[in-house]
Amino acid sequence: MLQLERKPLARETAQNQIEAGGGHVVEIPGESDWRDAAEQVRDAVQVDIRFSSFKDGRGFTLATQLRERAGFTGRLRAVGDLIPDQARYLHRVGFDDVAPERTDLAADWAKARARFSHAYQPAQDKVTPIFRHRQARPGDDLAALNARYRGADAADILRDAIRNEWAGRIAVLSSFGAEAAVGLHMIARIAPDTPVIFLDTGRLFAQTEQYQRALTETLGLTNIRMLRPDAGEAAAEDGDDRLWQRDPDACCALRKVRPLDKVIGEYDALITGRKRFHGGERLALPVVERINGRIRVNPLASWDAEKVNAYFQRFDLPRHPLSDMGYASIGCWPCTAPVQDDGDVRSGRWAGRNKTECGIHTPSRIAAE
Amino acid sequence: MKAITANRLTDGRVIYRTVEGQWSTDLAEAERLDSEEADARLAEAEGEFGVAVGPYLIEVEDDRPGGQKWRRETIRLTGPTTGSTHRAA
Amino acid sequence: MYKYDTYDHSLVRERIDEFRDQVERRLDGRLTEDQFKPLRLMNGVYLQLHAYMLRVAIPYGTLNGPQVRTLGHIARTYDKGYGHFTTRTNIQYNWPKLVDIPDILEDLAKVEMHAIQTSGNCIRNVTADPFAGAAADEIEDGRPWAEIIRQWSTFHPEFTFLPRKFKIAVNGAGEDRAGIRVHDIGLQIVRNAAGETGFEVWVGGGQGRTPRLGRKIRDFLAPEDLLSYLTAILRVYNQHGRRDNLYKARIKILVEALGAGEFGRQTEEEWAHIREGELKLPAAEIARIRAFFDAPPIAEATAIPATGRADFAQWLRRNRRDHKVAGLSSVVISLKPVGGAPGDITADQLDAVAGIAERYGFDEVRATPDQNLVLPHVRNADLEAVFDALAAAGLATANAGLATDIVACPGLDYCSLANARSIPIAQAISSLIEAEGLAGDVGDVTIKIDGCINACGHHHVAHIGVLGVDKRGEEFYQITLGGAFGTDAAIGNIVGKGLAGDDVPAAIVRLLRTYLEIRDENERFIDTLRRVGDEAFKESIYVAA
Repeated sequence: MLQLERKPLARETAQNQIEAGGGHVVEIPGESDWRDAAEQVRDAVQVDIRFSSFKDGRGFTLATQLRERAGFTGRLRAVGDLIPDQARYLHRVGFDDVAPERTDLAADWAKARARFSHAYQPAQDKVTPIFRHRQARPGDDLAALNARYRGADAADILRDAIRNEWAGRIAVLSSFGAEAAVGLHMIARIAPDTPVIFLDTGRLFAQTEQYQRALTETLGLTNIRMLRPDAGEAAAEDGDDRLWQRDPDACCALRKVRPLDKVIGEYDALITGRKRFHGGERLALPVVERINGRIRVNPLASWDAEKVNAYFQRFDLPRHPLSDMGYASIGCWPCTAPVQDDGDVRSGRWAGRNKTECGIHTPSRIAAE
Repeated sequence: MKAITANRLTDGRVIYRTVEGQWSTDLAEAERLDSEEADARLAEAEGEFGVAVGPYLIEVEDDRPGGQKWRRETIRLTGPTTGSTHRAA
Repeated sequence: MYKYDTYDHSLVRERIDEFRDQVERRLDGRLTEDQFKPLRLMNGVYLQLHAYMLRVAIPYGTLNGPQVRTLGHIARTYDKGYGHFTTRTNIQYNWPKLVDIPDILEDLAKVEMHAIQTSGNCIRNVTADPFAGAAADEIEDGRPWAEIIRQWSTFHPEFTFLPRKFKIAVNGAGEDRAGIRVHDIGLQIVRNAAGETGFEVWVGGGQGRTPRLGRKIRDFLAPEDLLSYLTAILRVYNQHGRRDNLYKARIKILVEALGAGEFGRQTEEEWAHIREGELKLPAAEIARIRAFFDAPPIAEATAIPATGRADFAQWLRRNRRDHKVAGLSSVVISLKPVGGAPGDITADQLDAVAGIAERYGFDEVRATPDQNLVLPHVRNADLEAVFDALAAAGLATANAGLATDIVACPGLDYCSLANARSIPIAQAISSLIEAEGLAGDVGDVTIKIDGCINACGHHHVAHIGVLGVDKRGEEFYQITLGGAFGTDAAIGNIVGKGLAGDDVPAAIVRLLRTYLEIRDENERFIDTLRRVGDEAFKESIYVAA
């Protein structure tokens, strides 16, 4: 039996009733008119709609009508000649469950069910259709969210963001740099399968690569999403490996901004580890902000160096191998230097240039217009 | 005489069934079947999985497609008759 | 034009992954051909006579330069160097390998294109006026509505396994250039007494074996109710459309069986329950989509250039159209070189069109139901440069709307459903008309050719229709007269027994000569035909046959 995970409570109640011998199960053909069907299913706890052929789509409208017009709230099960590629359609029109004739394709059914992240139309699964998301997105009310998170613990902000506010539509952006272990440790305790986006620029310190592997293992993170620059673009734009020298902005665009842009649409919100004490443009960093129309959550915005250190000690977190060598902020090796005594933590990044951000946290020029 | 033809699953190209039960793009290599054996061989081909899509019988006369579907099968064998307009760029 | 946001991008990408997976499962046996066929069709993949065919969606016929260039890249890389524009304003490739198609889809996705629902028993690509946003007679641009319908219909959970294919047209101009009466649903944008725009709703049109013109079931539908109303129509159809007979499964048969009045009543009954629900379009979303379809750019109001060049003058006369903005014109790029295959275009020509559109055409190209292309916005001052650039690419045939501008389905040269060839007949007819020097004198006339009764070549709605049939292994062609596509839509009448293929071009030439003899001054072919009836023409078709 392949569950479609709909209305778990109703389903369980119905299942218990059926198992206790109390329920009444009715099977109707998919070609039934919904008005006739509504009469037959009135007292049923479960209705099986039989598909004589997977090509005959009447059962999809019938299920919709039983839910929408007849108000049927019991279990709906699709039975008969059905194929995995229909899993999502069945779920969307109101089926809780499916019993296909061919029973050896559970993995294909599960995969098909989870294939699409969004839907254009409203349906019985009550998923918010894309056109409402588009309307809702500007309504992600920044002021209200920031007010709610004011003074909250970073871990509480993260828990709410990951489990509630943007559940299933949120990822972490991590450099696996000097302070990264703090936020990642909190996330690992909340939901270790939260996607962690890691930009492998091809210019990372070997120590960063090593640290990324070690920290992932230690914390038990299960969903690292490694993004690399497009090989063709890299060959075309940086054939001599000197782009960082000639035009660091173009290099960041190639190695960080564009790879991230390609996947950013999959998430409504990204968590970052940026903090106000980093200085520069980050001095006014809010907990929740919108960049190019998408939410960034910065749960550690108000943390200072002391608090970061204390957290490392309290949970005995491993340090980035370079942080003991004076690197307070760690990016790509050509553009990162240790911090001089009086500099702020990011002063070793693009040192000597009028550049403080790589571009992944700044609004694009197009969006700013 | 008859032969068995189909389209190849991976690329859709026209294929014919050989004596060995393999498939060839060359009609000359197709197994020639008389009416009695044709249906049995077709059933065999239909029962196989993997190479061919939608096998069916065609008429063959003098090593060329024959019968009422001769034109369709000739076009399948030798390509569109639309002339030089498709000179590829 | 519409620009994908992250939602659109991710759905298209997820669809490619799904198709790649479906191909894998077909190859390893988890899907049978019977199961795979409807799945591949819903992604535009047919198995034709020689190979697979991939039909790429051109939503409401609108393209930009990079998209056209990508179409050329695909023709060159995965096909035999050409593509074929269809009467449903899509493009199809005749030779891709099944195993290459996921990669082709990746290339398409990079320029916001796909092959979703270009076939199968689902809601297909929406047709719109190819001159939308440019035409001088436009009430409102229909494309924002076509885009709204595209999104609503994409992966629709309820309407993906319909009794049969389902086609919707939106026309926003005074003249119907989208063909609303020959679509399953036709939406005509109208203005009510209060000056608000909305839709007239026509249902049950279609060609094929049983050609029918759509019937009007609503005079005015408020725009925000569009999706709930369409849903109501589709629900009635999905539940009650016939599934026992392939040839009686289209909505036109249901509308005819119930009567348009009863069909409308059932639709309204269902609609009453859902019109105030989730499908009501928020004004902000309508505005958001509309904003992508900008008003045409303002140009200096230069006049149409005077010219001493006969070729350019002829092209201006036949292929230029008035634009709603002074100083701009629309131009038709004919894909009907005399003796050529209608709608075919080479990879190099696609590149040329992309370049011309980017340089002179505000980066817009349209595909038309006549298998031509249109540059909707061209500065009058650039017309000569456009003509020269098109001529250099072999795309300046000055025959838009003439007898040599013939529409033809792929026919038996490619299609596994066809009974007879169509392209060679089109080639022979246009060559003979040209050799006889008739096209200019005859002027506006439509000739459309089909290789089977499914009528992808629209012969039912041609002034002169040609339908190929097979009689014991030989090709014969029936002539129909008096059909029309658009505002004066009509289904043509079969005039008599079929002709052998070799006799068709001469019969058409005699028919056109008869028209020249009996026409009143300045009377178009179709008007003469309507005035005098079929008989006079019938004689000329059969006189020497």
